[in-house]
Amino acid sequence: MSAMLLNKEKWAEFVGKLAGKTIWAPRTDGEELRFLPLENGEVPEFDYNNTRVPPKQAVFPQTETMFRFQLGTEELEQPQLEEEMIVFGIRPCDARAMAIVDNLFKWDVEDPYYLKRREKTTLVGLTCSDPGLNCFCPSLGGGPASTEGLDLLMTDLGDSYLMEALTEKGETLVAETKDLLDKAGTDAQKNKDTLVKEAEKKINRSIDTAGIPEGLPGLWDHLLWRNVSASCLGCGTCTYLCPTCHCFDIQDETEGFEARRCRMWDSCMFAEYTMHASGHNPRATRQERTRNRINHKYSYYVDKFDTIACVGCGRCINLCPVNIDIVDILKQVKEAL
Amino acid sequence: MDLEQLRKIAAEVVAREDVNYLIGWKQGTYGYRVAPVFIEDPADASELIFSPLCTANLATYLTLVEKPPLPRGQEPDTRKVALMVKGCDSRAVAQLLVEKGINREGVVIIGCPCPGMVDHSLLAEKYPETEDLAEIKWDGEGFLLLRDGEEVKLDRYEVLAEKCRLCRYPNPLVSDILLGEEVEPWEPEEDSGVTEIEDKDIEGRWAYWEEQFANCVRCYSCRNVCPLCYCEDCILDRLNPDWINRSVNFSENTAFHIARAFHLAGRCSECGECERVCPANIPLGRLNRKLAREVRDKYGFEPGLDPEAEPFQASYKPDDPEDFIL
Repeated sequence: MSAMLLNKEKWAEFVGKLAGKTIWAPRTDGEELRFLPLENGEVPEFDYNNTRVPPKQAVFPQTETMFRFQLGTEELEQPQLEEEMIVFGIRPCDARAMAIVDNLFKWDVEDPYYLKRREKTTLVGLTCSDPGLNCFCPSLGGGPASTEGLDLLMTDLGDSYLMEALTEKGETLVAETKDLLDKAGTDAQKNKDTLVKEAEKKINRSIDTAGIPEGLPGLWDHLLWRNVSASCLGCGTCTYLCPTCHCFDIQDETEGFEARRCRMWDSCMFAEYTMHASGHNPRATRQERTRNRINHKYSYYVDKFDTIACVGCGRCINLCPVNIDIVDILKQVKEAL
Repeated sequence: MDLEQLRKIAAEVVAREDVNYLIGWKQGTYGYRVAPVFIEDPADASELIFSPLCTANLATYLTLVEKPPLPRGQEPDTRKVALMVKGCDSRAVAQLLVEKGINREGVVIIGCPCPGMVDHSLLAEKYPETEDLAEIKWDGEGFLLLRDGEEVKLDRYEVLAEKCRLCRYPNPLVSDILLGEEVEPWEPEEDSGVTEIEDKDIEGRWAYWEEQFANCVRCYSCRNVCPLCYCEDCILDRLNPDWINRSVNFSENTAFHIARAFHLAGRCSECGECERVCPANIPLGRLNRKLAREVRDKYGFEPGLDPEAEPFQASYKPDDPEDFIL
């Protein structure tokens, strides 16, 4: 299907055509910009760099109820995951992250919660025109207009959005709203190309990943881990705000006789993450946990799924309270190889 | 402060046989970032800095230190740890001494009189951070920003951190070595952040905190960065009983933050680190300063001023005002 244009003035009408579906988009909540389901008539904020908390929560909520039950009974009540969702304005890096994480949830055991949501979710990306200070997506194979994981890519061309459908889901969305769309001319495509080139120029940070996945196992006992983790506080900021981090814990929780089994994000940076019932912890210190975080993304995940589990969004660098900088760590890894 | 003097003294301290390492600040990896650094070799003391960007309180590393099981026959290293502190940081150290969380003999405290720190996000908002390392200096009443070969004069109150606006103790209250001259304390501002919430009615306060706590992602950076949150067995990590569920929702998040605030009442040294590190921008300082205000008003007690003091909760004074008891 050819590219289309959506005049910005038609946004409300456009969203109106999608009634019945939950629309996730960036909007300001208090003082914080975050991806949230839009309330009726709410206009998303597309003039942004990226949200601090990644939109992974749309398909992988921080806390998910797997089933509810009454204590003393055997009946389980399962949530229905029938909701159709469209995530508007997701950055190409975050969409790539979802494509990367899909591998895991499809692997050995198919995860019904995640996959059901993914199946019912359309990802509409927004070309990145103003990358942040710590963005390094091109180093990981992404880019300001990367399409991996996306169903449709929107590009802000001033008065209108260029809409390029990439998958069947994307084409369905275009078909549903075709009355409001105009055919895009070649100049629109040209404008997009210029915008992307400008955006690419703004990306300052980079890392050559060649040799890292193969080399990391050999650096197991290297001193660099001690140095890069010395100041680590052991908090979950880097992992919880990472769009590819996907570890979870499962707990039964009760309130009176009401009980639920739920799963929630977990972080390999927490001591209890690997704590055994015996009291033994195979990753006893933050040094081992930091090493695991890098190894998981840049080595183990590559072994299993042939892709690095990092998209270069820069969140862990931006928000680490003590300036632990993954690009800096990777540079040290390269030097040590 | 004279950096040469700082580095020389630090190198001497690290060279001492009874000192294991020194915890200080160094230039970060880009922009305005400053990172904690652990100096074990006197030669590395040249990395140390003390600038208006050294906002972080390093006292947390005294209790965050990990003690993994040692190989058989190996003795634990009992040498002293040297720590650089500003006035607010020294209050945390004093409070740790009061609580016997650390031993006085185990630390060498290097006091840095502090003319006030810059709020990193305020600075970045006004002068966007770039990849290049920038430097900031104290300059008369204000600051001087040096970056990309240019100098920008900054008005003090344009970028001063909130904790410094409220600061009553810019000079270290406990130290073994004092670097440079003590600074003249300035008139602290009234804590309008706390007053703003006190002025709301009950529903207004609830609505305010509900919005804040709903944003919490439970990364626990506030707990981990806090020099006075150092329980070996934190109620947050407990599974049996699970005092606070792992579920992330307003109710559990609120339980977490209230529990933490109460555990810090009469202990918090108001270093503001919890608020600085929060990735969800929750104004945790207001919560802790409210309890500090209560303790100050009702018991006339301020933690971290005297390392010899009795812990607030463990002391009893027959002449307590007690005007809040019916």
